[in-house]
Amino acid sequence: MSVHDVLRIENLGHSYGKFKVIEDISLSIGKGEMSALIGPNGAGKTTFYNAISGKFPPTKGKVLLNGKDITGLPSHRVVDKGMCRSFQITNIFAELTVAENIFSPLIIQQNKHFKLYGDIFKDQQITEKAMETLQQVGLSDRADQIVANLAYGDKRLVEMAIVLARDPSVVLLDEPTAGMNPEETENMISLIKKLAKNSGTTFFITEHDMKVVFSLAEKIYVLHQGHLLAQGKPEEIRANEQVQEAYLGRKVHA
Amino acid sequence: MMQGQQRRNLLGPALLTVLLLIAPLMIPIYWTMILSEILIMGLMAISFNLLLGYTGLLSFGQGAFFGLGAYSAALMLQGGYENLFLILFVGMLVAMLAALAVGIFSVQLDEIFFAMITLGFGMLFFSVAHNWRTVTGGSDGLPVFSLPSLNFFGSQLTFYAPVNMYYLIFVLVFIGCSLLWLIVHSPFGLILKALRENKQRVSFVGGNVKILRIAAFAISGAFTGLAGVLFCLFNNMATPEFMHWSFSAKPVIMSVIGGTSVFLGPLFGAAIFFVLEQIIIQFTENWMLFLGIVLVFIVLFFPEGVFGTLRNKFFKQGSK
Amino acid sequence: METLLLNTLNGLSWGMLLFLIAVGLTTVFGVLGVLNFAHGSLFMLGAYLCMQSMQYFDSFWLGLLIGPLCAAVLGVLVEKYLLKRVYGRDVSYQLLLTFAILLILDDGVRMIWGSGYHVVDPPAILSGIISITGQDYPVYRIFLIIIGPIIGTLLWSFFHFTKWGKIIRAASFDNIMAEGVGINVPMIYTAVFALGTWLAALGGALAAPQQSLVPSMGEKIIIESFIVVVIGGMGSFPGAFVGALLLGLLGSFGTVFAGNMQMAIPYILMAAILMIRPNGLFKKGV
Repeated sequence: MSVHDVLRIENLGHSYGKFKVIEDISLSIGKGEMSALIGPNGAGKTTFYNAISGKFPPTKGKVLLNGKDITGLPSHRVVDKGMCRSFQITNIFAELTVAENIFSPLIIQQNKHFKLYGDIFKDQQITEKAMETLQQVGLSDRADQIVANLAYGDKRLVEMAIVLARDPSVVLLDEPTAGMNPEETENMISLIKKLAKNSGTTFFITEHDMKVVFSLAEKIYVLHQGHLLAQGKPEEIRANEQVQEAYLGRKVHA
Repeated sequence: MMQGQQRRNLLGPALLTVLLLIAPLMIPIYWTMILSEILIMGLMAISFNLLLGYTGLLSFGQGAFFGLGAYSAALMLQGGYENLFLILFVGMLVAMLAALAVGIFSVQLDEIFFAMITLGFGMLFFSVAHNWRTVTGGSDGLPVFSLPSLNFFGSQLTFYAPVNMYYLIFVLVFIGCSLLWLIVHSPFGLILKALRENKQRVSFVGGNVKILRIAAFAISGAFTGLAGVLFCLFNNMATPEFMHWSFSAKPVIMSVIGGTSVFLGPLFGAAIFFVLEQIIIQFTENWMLFLGIVLVFIVLFFPEGVFGTLRNKFFKQGSK
Repeated sequence: METLLLNTLNGLSWGMLLFLIAVGLTTVFGVLGVLNFAHGSLFMLGAYLCMQSMQYFDSFWLGLLIGPLCAAVLGVLVEKYLLKRVYGRDVSYQLLLTFAILLILDDGVRMIWGSGYHVVDPPAILSGIISITGQDYPVYRIFLIIIGPIIGTLLWSFFHFTKWGKIIRAASFDNIMAEGVGINVPMIYTAVFALGTWLAALGGALAAPQQSLVPSMGEKIIIESFIVVVIGGMGSFPGAFVGALLLGLLGSFGTVFAGNMQMAIPYILMAAILMIRPNGLFKKGV
């Protein structure tokens, strides 16, 4: 743990009444340290993400973003402080155009959401940044298409762009390759690698696809029945017997 | 690279404006008066649609703000205040403040809750207006005996003649709708559309959903109040009926009939509503029954309303 | 002292009626996720159908049986052929549809029975007065105070102790899972909507002997039952009970103490409760 940790979780827990969904989770992610959270279904990954991203406040523990305590803040404040997230089920503005999807976070970031007049397309500050983000994810040629008409993979790219538009410190990606075919998955992996290299954003991913995890992650956290079973570098995790027993099972990846 | 959908076809609205400008010169006075009413209700419906079509909120209590505009105007006129601009301003301000107050309660939970709470608050205002005889005249309402006049480049314009009243209404409705159009095409307007599409995502891009909704509700309330002021001047009276849920239902029905996804849809819905009413009343007293059936049809088979469906058929791109 | 007792009795009897209607509304909401704007019109329909059957059969009890049953049949048709089509859609469309049904029912009643008012007499056994602390009090109201909890208990037992009741509760909490274990969710929805309709109509039939029947009688009750549901917590059975009693009692005492302001009491209560507990008093569930 160092002073330069961009995201630090201390003893995080969340219970519904007596039922403890997640407990005693502590981790710290350094700037630029691509990390992944894995675990079987029901292990508590989604609850963990929800509790740190502001969907609901955790019943116990602390969340520190860039050294600041953001525990329990509602989602819009968490975003304000610099942490954005994507969702497992694509969560975007279906009937708006790609460009309008990216404008939305920018408008709010630039505090223009109460501006009652003015053509957004004439606002260079917004359009330039939006174009930049779209170029990063490879959607610039589809800026004017209505998102609902796009292919599934492209919709996920829109979500990625929305998440990145504000240049957050930390991005939580909840199963970024969910529902993708092998080609789309490969593209997503390269994209995330490229984005991690070129931007100052730190990525924290949950995934089911082990191939994705091992291609991307520098550090892996294993969640099992609500607890952190293990954490470490990919090779360490692969070799860890407890993890193999609980999770990796028979699947062997090169 | 990126084109705005803002380069909209303004030819249609321009044509409509011209038609509305010359209409009174070509139709009997009776129809001019109907047109006046259509314009006022159209403004109310377009203001309402800021909530439904743009923000995704169904309010069943807009009549409260309409009534507040009307009562403000009536009270001011009774109190001797004759300045038209002052009356318009106060009417809109009172309506907006009330909408702010109601909005704060109503946005706490989801959309169903919102519909019920706005219905409840609307009826609360109705019951106050209905019972507070000393101020509101109770169930009889407040009559207006003298209308404000306007000093227009040296000459005094009065609005007792139906045609003059029509032009006053037309100008103000035009201004109101233009302002609403600007708002809807502003950054704020885009965020409202985003709210309608996916309010969770809005909060996850940093937007405070509650505050945004309250703002939309207040703005909608202000323009609804404007329509109320105009209606009071047009009808020479303010009555509690304006605040009853059956009146609040009108902008809802008009917007749905006309189409909530087209900016002017509710205005056309208002026109269709009035025409339908005039026709059906000839045959039967049971206008509500037919309205209900029409509404069922539209909800089930034409959710885009008359104009939304037409627009989708004839124009490829969908966006307002 | 007598006024206190009498007002309490009045409040309770109105509260029990309100409970029957509110519990139907909140159950439909809890299971189907639909807020039925036409619920008050179903209350009114129950009253009218009861009155109509009394004209054929000359018995209140038969009317009480037949009226709500006919309304429930209508409820089945409405759910199967209209409501079902809008489940996947925006909540606003569902609300609009039920609102349209309200328009049809309200005017339909006007068409069939006219806009004037009708009167229904309570059955002979219940039409008398009894003396409570020296004051005359209608027996019928006491009947209402008793029947309310009886029906409430029966309903509650149904939801907690019978197989179908448990299935309905399962479907209300997680309908995807329920479908996954083989429960015929669409049929449950129809059944619950019919139940809600039946309860509203039963409330109407029970209310008939103590108020005049007019086509606008649904209006007042729908707003009050909305408020009960909002106060009690949307989808909550105990909430409907507590909320209804609160509103009934406050309304009854309000007429005495607040005079002209009485109309505003339900709304003030609603605003007050929302400020401290925005979700209502109870959580969703039976």
